[in-house]
Amino acid sequence: MIIFDLMGMLLSAYIVGFIYYGLYRNITARFQRRIGPTVLQSFYDSIKFFSKKESISHGWMFYLGPVIMMTGAIMTLFFIPFFYNSESFSGLSAYGNLFVVLYLMMLGPLGNAMGVGVSGSPFAVMGVTRGLTRMFAMELPFYIAVIALMSLNHSADIATIAANQTTINAFAYPLLFIGVLFSFVAMMGQSPFDVVGAPVEVYSGPAAEFSGKFLALLMSQSAIFSFAKLVLMVNLFLGGAEGFFELLGKTFVLFLFVIAFGSMYGRFKTPQSVDFLVKVPTAIAVVGLILATTGGQ
Amino acid sequence: MKIIPALIFPLLTVLAVFMIVTSQGVWQMDLVVFGLDNITVGLKATALANFFAVLIAFSLFAVSLVSGKQTPSKGFYFLLYLLTWSLLLIVYSADYLLFFVGWEVMSITTYLLLSYTLSPKALVKYIVFAIASAMSLLAAIMILYSTSHSFLYADAHQAYLALSDTLSVLFVVLMLFAFFVKIGVIGFHYWLVDAYAESDDFFTPYLSAVVSKMAVYALIILLVTVVDISLLPKSWIAYTLALLGLLSSLIAAFKAVNEDSMKRLLAYSSIAQLGYIVTVLSFADGVSGALYHSLMHTLVKLLLFINVAGIIYVTSKSKFSELGGLIYRMPQSFVMLLIGIIVLAGMPPLGGFASKYLIYNTLLENGNLLILSAMMFASAAAFLYIYKLIYGIYLGHPTSQKLESVKEVPVGYLIPQYIIATILVVMGTLPGLVTPYLNTILIELKLKTLPLASSAVLNTETGGYNGLIVMAAFVLIFIVILFVLLSLSSKVREAKDRFDIAYCGEVPNEGTHLHYGFSMGKELGRVGFIGVILQNSSRYFYDFISKQLFAFAGIFRKIYSGNLSMNFNIMALFVLALLWWSLK
Amino acid sequence: MEEGFLKEGFLKEQQVMESDLNSDTSHKSSVDFLMDWFRKRSIFVLAYGTGCGAIEMPPTFTSRYDAERLGIRGAATPRQADVIIVSGYCSYKTLRRIIRTYEQMANPKYVLALGSCTVNGGMYWDSYNTIKKLEDYMPVDMYVNGCMPRPESILEGFIELQKEIAEGKASSWQKYEENYEFYRKNQEAVLGKTVAPAYDADWYLYDGGL
Repeated sequence: MIIFDLMGMLLSAYIVGFIYYGLYRNITARFQRRIGPTVLQSFYDSIKFFSKKESISHGWMFYLGPVIMMTGAIMTLFFIPFFYNSESFSGLSAYGNLFVVLYLMMLGPLGNAMGVGVSGSPFAVMGVTRGLTRMFAMELPFYIAVIALMSLNHSADIATIAANQTTINAFAYPLLFIGVLFSFVAMMGQSPFDVVGAPVEVYSGPAAEFSGKFLALLMSQSAIFSFAKLVLMVNLFLGGAEGFFELLGKTFVLFLFVIAFGSMYGRFKTPQSVDFLVKVPTAIAVVGLILATTGGQ
Repeated sequence: MKIIPALIFPLLTVLAVFMIVTSQGVWQMDLVVFGLDNITVGLKATALANFFAVLIAFSLFAVSLVSGKQTPSKGFYFLLYLLTWSLLLIVYSADYLLFFVGWEVMSITTYLLLSYTLSPKALVKYIVFAIASAMSLLAAIMILYSTSHSFLYADAHQAYLALSDTLSVLFVVLMLFAFFVKIGVIGFHYWLVDAYAESDDFFTPYLSAVVSKMAVYALIILLVTVVDISLLPKSWIAYTLALLGLLSSLIAAFKAVNEDSMKRLLAYSSIAQLGYIVTVLSFADGVSGALYHSLMHTLVKLLLFINVAGIIYVTSKSKFSELGGLIYRMPQSFVMLLIGIIVLAGMPPLGGFASKYLIYNTLLENGNLLILSAMMFASAAAFLYIYKLIYGIYLGHPTSQKLESVKEVPVGYLIPQYIIATILVVMGTLPGLVTPYLNTILIELKLKTLPLASSAVLNTETGGYNGLIVMAAFVLIFIVILFVLLSLSSKVREAKDRFDIAYCGEVPNEGTHLHYGFSMGKELGRVGFIGVILQNSSRYFYDFISKQLFAFAGIFRKIYSGNLSMNFNIMALFVLALLWWSLK
Repeated sequence: MEEGFLKEGFLKEQQVMESDLNSDTSHKSSVDFLMDWFRKRSIFVLAYGTGCGAIEMPPTFTSRYDAERLGIRGAATPRQADVIIVSGYCSYKTLRRIIRTYEQMANPKYVLALGSCTVNGGMYWDSYNTIKKLEDYMPVDMYVNGCMPRPESILEGFIELQKEIAEGKASSWQKYEENYEFYRKNQEAVLGKTVAPAYDADWYLYDGGL
């Protein structure tokens, strides 16, 4: 039954996403020569926010903002198959394809931007503008690589692209993968491209006015969305997965790389990150595209 | 004019179009009776023509509903109906002669309609470009006539093949110039932004929605019927179209973010959206994507411009720096604009995604990968001006006292918006609904048709997506999450007033500048390539050309200088030359 | 700890203060018990240094003394924060902002007062510009003694606060809501009719108000 399938995907994304965020805080702490919280810390944070006795709201649009963001994250998750060779945990991916997923990824943040705008905090809107600016820059290398893959596989279906990888795409088309990695660090919101939610610079950006259960929704959707993005990358570049442990292993390796990258670098300013992203990773990805489609590699 | 009389002619137009569409009429006439032999003109109700005629009739109806509250000057409605008649003539004509007549009447009536409100400078810009477009069109038609001795579309392809190489290139260049001016491709768009921004608030939707589509129709006729671009896959024509369309989308998107006036932003947005159509028309397969996108863009621009007209009517302000915070005073307009911008951004589950999906698939199938990535990049960059549009008007804080006491727009503005929003939601849920009709058009143009699955699925060669499932998933998940949120025990405390925001412990008041309205996106100029785009303008190019023309004319000034004795000398020379030539 | 240490002195004072605070236990269904356990494991502290005690906060929350082991991390805005640390003296100017910020936080919220200035005025006991007893203006959940308390003391304060949260005794937010007139009267006595700061870019030109 498809409803159990979807529930399974959602539950695993929720749990694994939160554990990954707990691990993120732990591993970052070890990089900084301290211990850090427990692995389950994100669950505690989320439940604490859900159990706040009151949440502050600025009207019905503010109420709906996090709901739309969560809906966008869950929909993105449902259209990405977990395992390319089985019917279970494939969600609604048979009814959509990679183009749908790419655009659904933008649905949540745009819906949240409505709620953020209506709250009236200028700092929050500054964060949204930075987010939109960073978004179009970081999507460029990603689009180039994804389009190269779609053209090489003659299909826009994620499961097909995952299944066609006799050698993993990361090794078969290394330049494309390197270009995408820069983009992926930005998509996960890590340094040096984490200018959007800067806690002190822009008063935490889009999360400025959210409290209580709204903030808990934002944190939950962040976990689910991150997991969806990780699974998408695994399917496109790391050969897909045939079992749950393989999926967990591959997503964790990718996540570890992203955390390590983020711990090393400081933060770029917004024009700097746009400048960088449209020059270096884009050039790498374009060279990779040309080499891949003209039969080299 | 009140709303009921304003609706009579539009309803008649709708009726007439309906009759033509269902009758499949063909009419042909020899012009021998006028003393011109060898010229045949005709009207034909092709499927493509019917498609655009329906758009024209619907736009006129929508705009007339809005105009009931405005009081335009004398003669406005007559000119508007004359314009509609000329647009119908353009689409239904089966030969280039009647097409040209319609094109000229369209240019002239648009000029007269714009002259009510445009400043002289903007008006001159418009008419110069319109005349240039019309003259180059005429020249191209004459080139074609030189080999075919007929104006009919049916004879055009053979005539084109019979042209010599240089003449065929010249023909295509002239035609493309004429149509690019009307579409507003970047570089030829110099007249467009001022014309849209300064025209009457309820005429701008009509301009943006329909008048630009006439050039799209003409471009399709040129590329498919006359030139038959499916035989020239990598020709210079394809590259020109693809490159110019791409530049339009990119440059216009960044210029749109920089604007303070609502209508100028929407004008640049029109240029960007039409860039998609121009790019995809570089392939013969792209006609389906172009038609779908034309449909979507017509509906969306009607919605957006009517919404903006309502805002201007209620608040008398048209700049973002003077607006803000209208969401809870005009909630219906907000929801309509929200639907409009979701479609403009091309996001599922609404209808804008379907047309973008077709366009992307066409580019992917034809292997144009770099252009496709750049197009998706332009689409992502469009999010900035899309958010600016809705934030600057409805979100944020009101920037003046007057805005705190406005009411909802009159119902005449809301009705067309509701109708269009319903159509957009339905088309998003059932994107395959239009496919059978598109296939009729494609069969008539002798192109490859789209595979049909069901009305809920939009299918292309590389796969499809199910719009119904996407919409159903969105609605169901939204309801479930909302229910979960509502059932949590945490109470919701409303903020005390609009100043109860986390502001580092300080309390802003009315004098504090809190609305991030017009300056949103100004910081983009600090990025390298965007700064280059924003600092340059086609004005510099046209200034350069006009300076050269003035310099060239200065040479003649040396001879014909206004000095009386010189005039006498010239006259004497001229008479002597005549005498010599007649005596030869 | 052996009894010998607790007969007198600094540590005895701290213990006395810890046991004397708002001990109104107003809950206790099992859901509340569970929720309080979660609330104690995850504490978001507003990044707001109100006085000179704030110098000891950065070491506490970063690598040297690592408060994140206890689940404590910083929050950027008052909307996201659970705990506000009043770290030291409060001048009248700062008191306005503290009260405004405290009222913008979402319930349940806790106040941790550092230093002796919040207890009895501390080393500014005779200043014309500071308040002498924070308890008159805002209810406090936990005091941490010292001038200024070292990070180890602040961590002990947090651990005691966690114990109080788990037992449901940290209910200063309820005390604020129930006795709002009392607190408001005290606030207006020192700050004037408008307790909240007036946002005026020229406030420092001192036209007569703070």
